[in-house]
Amino acid sequence: MYDFIIIGAGIIGSIIARELSKYQVKAIVLEKENDVANVQTLANSAIIHSGHNPEPNTLKAKFNVLGNKLYDELEKELNIPILHCGAFVVAHNKEEEEHLLELYENAKINNVPEFELLDYKKAVKSEPNLSKNTTKVLSLPTTKVTNPWEVAFACMENAMENGIEFQKNAEVTNIKYRDKHFIITINNQTKLESLAVINAAGVNSDDLAHMIEKDTPFYIRPRKGEYFVIDRRVKGFINHILYPLPTDAGKGVLLTPQVHGEILIGPNSLYIDDKYNKSVTFEGLDYVKKNAPALAENIPFDKIIHSFAGVRASSNIDDFYIGESKEYKRLYHLGGIDSPGLSAAPAIAKYLLEDIIKIKQSYNKKNNFNPYRKKRIEFHRLPLNEQLELIKQYPTYGNIICKCEKITEKEIVDAIHSKLGSDTIKGIKKRTRAGSGLCQGGYCEEKVMKIIARETSRSPLDTAYDSPKSKIFKAETKVEE
Amino acid sequence: MKRDIIVIGGGASGLAAAISVKKEGKDVLLIEREERLGGILNQCIHNGFGLEVFKEEYTGPEYADIYIEEFNQLNIDYLVNTTVIKFNKIKDEFVLYTSSLAKGIQKYNAKSIIISTGCYERTRGSIIIPGDRPTGVITAGSAQRYLNIDGYMVGKRVFILGSGDIGLIMARRMYLEGAEVLGVAELMPYSNGLTRNIVQCLNDFDIPLYLSHTVTKITSDENNRLKSIVLQKVDDRFKPIEGTQKTFEVDTLLLSIGLIPDIVLLDSLDVEYDKLTKSVKVNQALETQVEGLFVAGNALQVHDLADNVSKESERAGYNAAKYVDNPKRKHKTIKLLSGENISYISPQYIDFAWPESDVICSFRSKGKIEKGLIEVIQGENKVLSKRLMYIVPAEMETFSLKIESLNENEDIIINLEAIK
Repeated sequence: MYDFIIIGAGIIGSIIARELSKYQVKAIVLEKENDVANVQTLANSAIIHSGHNPEPNTLKAKFNVLGNKLYDELEKELNIPILHCGAFVVAHNKEEEEHLLELYENAKINNVPEFELLDYKKAVKSEPNLSKNTTKVLSLPTTKVTNPWEVAFACMENAMENGIEFQKNAEVTNIKYRDKHFIITINNQTKLESLAVINAAGVNSDDLAHMIEKDTPFYIRPRKGEYFVIDRRVKGFINHILYPLPTDAGKGVLLTPQVHGEILIGPNSLYIDDKYNKSVTFEGLDYVKKNAPALAENIPFDKIIHSFAGVRASSNIDDFYIGESKEYKRLYHLGGIDSPGLSAAPAIAKYLLEDIIKIKQSYNKKNNFNPYRKKRIEFHRLPLNEQLELIKQYPTYGNIICKCEKITEKEIVDAIHSKLGSDTIKGIKKRTRAGSGLCQGGYCEEKVMKIIARETSRSPLDTAYDSPKSKIFKAETKVEE
Repeated sequence: MKRDIIVIGGGASGLAAAISVKKEGKDVLLIEREERLGGILNQCIHNGFGLEVFKEEYTGPEYADIYIEEFNQLNIDYLVNTTVIKFNKIKDEFVLYTSSLAKGIQKYNAKSIIISTGCYERTRGSIIIPGDRPTGVITAGSAQRYLNIDGYMVGKRVFILGSGDIGLIMARRMYLEGAEVLGVAELMPYSNGLTRNIVQCLNDFDIPLYLSHTVTKITSDENNRLKSIVLQKVDDRFKPIEGTQKTFEVDTLLLSIGLIPDIVLLDSLDVEYDKLTKSVKVNQALETQVEGLFVAGNALQVHDLADNVSKESERAGYNAAKYVDNPKRKHKTIKLLSGENISYISPQYIDFAWPESDVICSFRSKGKIEKGLIEVIQGENKVLSKRLMYIVPAEMETFSLKIESLNENEDIIINLEAIK
């Protein structure tokens, strides 16, 4: 019998797992995908917002500002990458300036720290490529960028280190309540029992609730956003996140520097019927391309290496829905966690455990909780003397596999065998960045595939890109049939 | 470790460059990141190589072997499984760091460097294809490597987007390997591959070529594998025409949508980029703005024939050797400019500090021209005027100029005119 089952290993599920691992509980995280952070957490702007935008007195406003602060602690404990770049909200004329003032007041009410209004002359000094049509900006220095899936990995890894179990490829197909506990069926086969269930299933959170509840308090209205990625060799083109003024449709098309140097352009925002629709469209990307130039001069569109779409778990409610089920005690929902979900995640986890679950009343804290996670070695970033030392010990650090991102064989092998290891091309890409560069895996995918096959004692024919069934090859050449 | 000349890359370009350096009596080291020499030639098991250089037809590996044999006979020093990770010029010397399993990180110094790093394939990311992102959408070159080197088929029902040569070659290769190849789509109204490849790889196997067509949608199955593509005709401004959609159920879409010179290594150097070739600008000696740094082969401009890569790289090797003899040159340059109907010209400069180097120019046209007149003009002076037949962007054209016939003060413009 588990004390808690968490369903969903996106940023929310992972960070709750880590928070839960501070207590003396028996808990497991179930993820239907073949990896942590594979849906919403994998495809978004990666911004930890300051909290200037949400409507005052909402959960979004409260947890965004608090979550932003809590990331400083996570940065130290979990060694997650954070770019403390700050952000500018850009206004182009008197009308927009008025809107900017409203946003300024909003930031004040929400208790955002350190924000200020700057005129173009002052702003352009620290942002040379800022659009020449800019008249004023709202500067938000506490806005920062992270790598969302690395945060999820770090949290889940640390949670596992502290005793939480994790199972991937585990789709919850049924939930029943009997004799004061829940019975959860995985993949129509295995059954697990738990005293409490935390529904952190993102875009599937409403479907999951429907499995057991007659009347679910929210439903997901999936919203899709499309992006371009510009190669990291344009690093320095912008120094801040550049936002346009928000509209009803969301925060608009932004320019966002990423922790590894790329720049994201996007997203558009469109409600969609199918929550699994991750397709990019001519119209969507065209919209992004047309709107971005309002923020900066000479955007290097010729350096685009990738485009993608992400789905947000928006709901019919204008705020996050975080609370206990009205029909079942100890079933907890985290519904409608769209933007600023990433920013708010650390605060959401604390709020759920401390204020909703009131965990301290039922469980003691662990004495031996280890909050720290060792930094993953990014070999190419180390100084030469450290590289030489490490190579002596582990010669495979000398074998460059992904030449665009300079990722070594040792880093890939470590990513396969680590506590939260992966045996897929995409899993290795998410963990090491092999295949994220200019040639998008054209050169290294074959090499990564062979290393995975070797390390897992499998044929390349059984090596997958992402889900276990997404094999790369159909057959060997000239095989007798 | 100090060397006269280091060649980076051991494919068609690097082999020819290193051989030519050695023949000029200079010390040379070649660095190759793969486990064997030969580069992409190793996976090009089709024939068609060598007609220009040897007047005989070879497969890619055979063609590479001819060079590798000569390379070995000349006892040229080389490293395999070795990647250059850092590259710079400090004062008059190039400094580079390599990384390998066998030797770890090592530092080399050289008087001159030849960049023979080839090119990489454009991926789906560099063009917009709407739809899902399933497995089964793969560049033609990667599929070729999987098939010819590793022995694996990436799919059984195949469509090919882009009529670049690798795509055409792979259409035939997949067909012969037992796959169904349903067609090749090309956005332009003409093919981007060599005519001989259209005939030998498509026509001979009844594989249809859809000109002025593109893929406008990709859908995936429940395992996130490619399920189907939608092919659509485009108008003369490349906009898809409504009502022309055709769906093909395929498990694989090969992309043959262009190659880009791989010059990432030059990021740390003060070179001048050319948006037209997507590489760096060079003079007729194939030397960049950085003295002693030469670029050749597909790293300089994407060639249609390996033979031309070899010839160009041989010149780079010869010139690098001459540079080592005489590094202090008084530069006096004029520009070579792309004029009417020219999509690019290489070299971009003529440097009178290189009187010993032939001025061999290559260019591609912007469109298809049945009969053309190429004119090279310097001020009032028509330096060259030459008639050409059947000029297409897919086929590189060359001409040479006599440096004595040029003046040192005026830029040169190249025009291509369609004539009757």
